[in-house]
Amino acid sequence: MDLFFQALSLAFTPQAVGAIGLGSLVGLVFGSVPGLTFTVALALALPITFGMEPVPAIGMLLGTYVGGMTGGSVSAILLGIPGTPSAAATVLDGHPMTRKGEASIALGTAVIVSVFGGIFSLVVMIVSVDLVSRIAISFGPAEIFALVLFGMSTICGLCGDSLLKGLISGVLGLMIMTVGIDAIDGIPRMTFDSVNLLQGVNLLVAMIGLFAVPFIIEAFADPSADQSRPHRIANLRARLPSPSLLFSKFWLMIRCSALGTAIGAIPGTGGPIASFLAYDNAKRFSKDPASFGKGNIDGVIAPETANNAVTGGTLIPLLSLGIPGDPATAIVLAGLMIHGITPGPALFMNHAGEIYGMYVAVIIAYVWVLGMQLIGVRLFVHVLRIPRELLAVAVMVLCAIGAYSIRNSAFDIFAMGAIGALAYLLAAVRVPITPIVLGMVLGPTLENEFRTAMMLSGGSMDIFLSSPAALIFFALALLVIGYQFAGELRPKRNTQDEAGGSNG
Amino acid sequence: MTSHVQNLLLGVVLLLLSGAWTWLVIDTIPAGFGDGDIGARAFPMAFGLMLAGLASVLIVKTTLASQPRTGAEPAALSEGRRHGQAAWFVALKVLTVIVIYGFLLERVGFVLATPVAVFLVMIAGLRGQSALKIAGMSLGLTAGCWLIFEKLIGIYLANGTWINIG
Repeated sequence: MDLFFQALSLAFTPQAVGAIGLGSLVGLVFGSVPGLTFTVALALALPITFGMEPVPAIGMLLGTYVGGMTGGSVSAILLGIPGTPSAAATVLDGHPMTRKGEASIALGTAVIVSVFGGIFSLVVMIVSVDLVSRIAISFGPAEIFALVLFGMSTICGLCGDSLLKGLISGVLGLMIMTVGIDAIDGIPRMTFDSVNLLQGVNLLVAMIGLFAVPFIIEAFADPSADQSRPHRIANLRARLPSPSLLFSKFWLMIRCSALGTAIGAIPGTGGPIASFLAYDNAKRFSKDPASFGKGNIDGVIAPETANNAVTGGTLIPLLSLGIPGDPATAIVLAGLMIHGITPGPALFMNHAGEIYGMYVAVIIAYVWVLGMQLIGVRLFVHVLRIPRELLAVAVMVLCAIGAYSIRNSAFDIFAMGAIGALAYLLAAVRVPITPIVLGMVLGPTLENEFRTAMMLSGGSMDIFLSSPAALIFFALALLVIGYQFAGELRPKRNTQDEAGGSNG
Repeated sequence: MTSHVQNLLLGVVLLLLSGAWTWLVIDTIPAGFGDGDIGARAFPMAFGLMLAGLASVLIVKTTLASQPRTGAEPAALSEGRRHGQAAWFVALKVLTVIVIYGFLLERVGFVLATPVAVFLVMIAGLRGQSALKIAGMSLGLTAGCWLIFEKLIGIYLANGTWINIG
């Protein structure tokens, strides 16, 4: 109890509350602009924290992390362009909701479920940091490969009308991400002696190209085609989701929070995998899976709950073992060490007060994010009042800034244009775009983990077959793929039966 | 173009792409050394072969599917095709502006490249816009982004190598 009061006294100082609020605001801004990642925001915030006390300093970094993860949904819902890779799955139903005039409901729901997911994962972390970190750390390359393969199987659920074209799209995403220096052997692959291609195609640049460039082209091609605009503007009142709606989705939120926390706890995975798996889970267990992709609120709730639950999950190996799960938590780790807090087994003996203070800081960050976003929803929806073609001009400049700022290279703007052209071409021949994103997100992890596992086993596949966790994920992947193929064949067989019946 | 022909064409293009990709992979990336080192070539080659397989399935599936009867083209279809052609022309213009923007950014800097790019995209993409609106968008967007990103947030926006005005 003394520790609890000590934590409250450390986290509720004006400096700490202000720093956490500032961090949350900066994270929200960076998260909502495509290309400006919250990892960049964290890197910019880190030097500011040098002169602060540990709890306000770490609170500011955690606020930036939490705000950034939540902010990615804003542009995903309003413009159909994900602010962060973790928000890519939110586009699928969030943007169709905007087209239906339900932008504020989607934004309000996204922020509320984000806060739910974040606080759920924090509670899990506090209660089970020791147990979960032991399980998570037992995941080696074979288990992570199997998990990522299971993640890849969700492509089947994102294919739209044609499973074949969805698979082609997924393979194209995998191929794009093999360009550049190979992460294990350091060999250039498909770089054509270009220095710029050595670093490969940046995931964020690719995502901006895939989502923003087709948006700009469509807006210019036929500005009058935005027939939903009068309807959207007529519904621009900032309505929020009703409590009854949220209560009816409580079980979905719990499922996705647990999934996000578990995935976040495994180093090297992260928000995009969690959000796509949660989306697939929501669609698979929905009573109306056909409505997904057309503006189903469950398609917003699932990825947003899961990607924010990742924040608490990633803190589990970070605090208990000192292992950062992604670049953002690596910066938080740097912040901890700069302030003399060394994560590891002795952390709770040496710095219990500060750690409990950090837990309170995360809750304060979520309160800030909730307040800012709920006020912001009333402002954000007015973006839709801007004529689409003028909005497209602004999107072009913002996306170019975002693409350029990742590596300070104009090459990334050219890459954005080239991938945008590819996306427009593929959309014209009805090839779905989302599986490309999944291929790009999961491709590098899939390859690196498989190759590392094979090296560890000396070339024996037994490493995959002797791990119960890996076998479970392989079985789940097979189940998902089998279920999808059965679904593909069923309507055709029914059609053939009907044709046979009518002939007979 | 009917979806039948479109799918066939897509399948052929993807098959050619996968062939070229796989050939380049084999030609330029060394294989692994064995004993667990599967090498840098394995995955790109596997993806190329997977694409070839999927493209072949698409071609076969499309060829076996019943082809729609040809006849007089409905008016809506020909209208859609005209719209499609116009959209491709717009896409080409937008992509050209993006390339020009990227080229100018590192040579004349953000402050000069942005108004030029906004001006070009509005002239090329949007007909019937007033000169005032074009000037307002060009200068307003540049000034707003420069103030927010460079001055307030501290993001580096490109400086020019030919001309640099900050």
